[in-house]
Amino acid sequence: MRTHRPLAAAVAGLAIIGVAGLAGCSGSDANSDGPVQLEYWAWASNSQDVVDQWNKENPDIQVKYTDAGGGTDSSAKLLTANRAGNAPDVALVEYTTLPAMIVADVPADITEYVSDVEDAFTEGTWAQTTFGGVVYGIPQDVGPMANVYRADRFAELGVTPPKTWAEFRTAAEAIKAADPATVIATLPPAEFGFWAGVSTQAGAQWWSSEGDEWTVGIADEPSLEVADFFQALVEDGLVSTDPLLTPEYNAALNNGTMLSWPSAVWAPSVIENVAADTSGGWEMAPLPQWTEGDAAVPYQGGSALVVTTSSDHPEEAAKFAKWLNASEEGNDLMINTQSLYPAAIAGQEMTESNDPPALMPQQTDFYSVAAEISADTIPVTWGPNVNLARTVFADELQKAIDNGTPWRDAFIATQKAVIDDMVKSGFTVTND
Amino acid sequence: MTTATPRRAATAAASSKPRRARSNRLAPYLFTTPAIVLYIVFTVIPVAYAIWLSLRAYRVTGGALGRKQDVFVWFENYLAVLQDETFLAGFGRLLIYGVIAIPLTLGLALLFALLLDAPAVRAKRFSRTAIFIPYAVPGVVAALLWGFMYLPSTSPFSFLTKAAGLGPIPFLEESGIFGSLANIAIWGGVGFNMIIIYTSLRGIPADIYESARLDGANELQIAWRIKIPLVMPALVLTGFFSLIGTIQLYSEPATLRPMTSTISASWVPLMAIYRDAFGTDNLPQAAAASTLLAVGTVLVSALVLRLVNRRRNGVES
Repeated sequence: MRTHRPLAAAVAGLAIIGVAGLAGCSGSDANSDGPVQLEYWAWASNSQDVVDQWNKENPDIQVKYTDAGGGTDSSAKLLTANRAGNAPDVALVEYTTLPAMIVADVPADITEYVSDVEDAFTEGTWAQTTFGGVVYGIPQDVGPMANVYRADRFAELGVTPPKTWAEFRTAAEAIKAADPATVIATLPPAEFGFWAGVSTQAGAQWWSSEGDEWTVGIADEPSLEVADFFQALVEDGLVSTDPLLTPEYNAALNNGTMLSWPSAVWAPSVIENVAADTSGGWEMAPLPQWTEGDAAVPYQGGSALVVTTSSDHPEEAAKFAKWLNASEEGNDLMINTQSLYPAAIAGQEMTESNDPPALMPQQTDFYSVAAEISADTIPVTWGPNVNLARTVFADELQKAIDNGTPWRDAFIATQKAVIDDMVKSGFTVTND
Repeated sequence: MTTATPRRAATAAASSKPRRARSNRLAPYLFTTPAIVLYIVFTVIPVAYAIWLSLRAYRVTGGALGRKQDVFVWFENYLAVLQDETFLAGFGRLLIYGVIAIPLTLGLALLFALLLDAPAVRAKRFSRTAIFIPYAVPGVVAALLWGFMYLPSTSPFSFLTKAAGLGPIPFLEESGIFGSLANIAIWGGVGFNMIIIYTSLRGIPADIYESARLDGANELQIAWRIKIPLVMPALVLTGFFSLIGTIQLYSEPATLRPMTSTISASWVPLMAIYRDAFGTDNLPQAAAASTLLAVGTVLVSALVLRLVNRRRNGVES
């Protein structure tokens, strides 16, 4: 048996956090002469190229970029670095974890520096970073929900791509009948963003706040009906719940037995990374609706830039963030070197003259479909403990799937855990 | 130099006898200083800090998006840990895993060590290295490597069973996961344990075997009656390492987690601690769980050692 010592490592890790806290150095260089030095944490691909461009144009404000690892890793690092007093000046934060960051005092109030770019974003997008009239971040990219599917395989099997979730079921049945080895999609419990999204689409509000009080709605009636609907799909063997992007899943994408991914407009580049050979077979459509004729969709994913409270140069940091997310040049770089779907209205309009993503070169209307989807989105409020909800939900739903118990119990258990945690942390919850 | 030194030393000794005596007293402490300093900086302080942290909590004041304050809560985190079903369920899984992994690792290590020690065996050095090499593979790499051999679409084993019309082997399903994880640990751990036992075997004086052979014992009898009892201390040591390794199980299930939905975020205690510390921003509760786990490990280890010692003393007397 191996004698590695994760426990010792964990304790040492806790200690390092403490030692770093004692050291208490600030992330930025505070010398008065010479250029201002900013530290920037993000994870989007090719961020370094974008930063290089800024550094070339702004000799007075030099930015040092660090790849902090995806959204979840990055938020954990940001929280600990902030407690230790050495957080970067500017950091990318997912909308889902922004409230948790605010509660931990990570993002600074940048209202005075950025109110001039408010009009560059739709109201719904700007609302994702504004709480109680205070602006905590500038939206970078958004993930309006969409369905990315194998148009060629759907046609081959004679199945119509679904516009509603009822049609999704019919399509899943038709696919199974035509080719039992093929499945319409996998909807794993770990995809918290998807489950929150489709519940929001059905009319639920998983978190909402009024005044000083929170209301949690993970076990709202609409969410429970969503649970029942998808439970039936899974029990009838029409969709899978295996995890995404495993070698297993990627193989299914490549051999054409996984036909769609209900997710968001950022999905094509993810699929392209693992199944480039299937390019040309895919198309993007709006997410299926619960009610026929509805058009509004919620968001899944997306992130904003925040200026941290430990920054010594909040004004310069905000300037850099504005250039990145709200300027024409920044948006151009975001679209063409980073393949992101920008949050700014002007950026989204710029995409329409772009070629479609490499996964669907034949879908020439890709970006107008994306803009159409993005124009009608459902505002969503995230709570201060989304990460807790995410892990509890994934574990509870998996348990329900394994044991064959009602899925709605998983939603109810998550709601209870979320409320308990909020009350314990000192929040007032109306449905406590 | 050689002629001058004794005289100079003698005069120095004569002129400053008390100082030299004092420096003699200090020297042993001086020699242990690096170890003590390192121990304090990297063990005592972190442990003390973790314990201090475990008595605190982040509490929000001031409205819907108030700010978290660091407050003192006494033993609240410890109570929360002891009531956390997902954390406690992890110990049940460790038990199942340990029951599979520990006896097999030790049994195989002992078997290989005895085989290598048998006089008639050829290519000893090669075999020893071959069995030891998996230990040099880092745990995460080993888990990834095996993970690909477990996944139905990439597994060579499942390829064979599928070809035979039996369907894939459920390596990563509820029914197979413990065996699959134990297999990774056994693959990686047998070599290390074998080396310890083998070294211990090499330390046994050869004349004992000689007299046993004169008394008519065959190799099997020698192994069973002489070698195994004499390497018992090595077996206790490796068993002890294995026990601690089992309680600290983390990297294998954490690495396999993205490949299967069978492994939850809190599948074993250390994963639950990681989740609290870095997933749900509850560092104090993670510190409390770490402290409990460390104390528990020490207690279990002490208990096991005591039982083993008592038994051995009983056998000897």
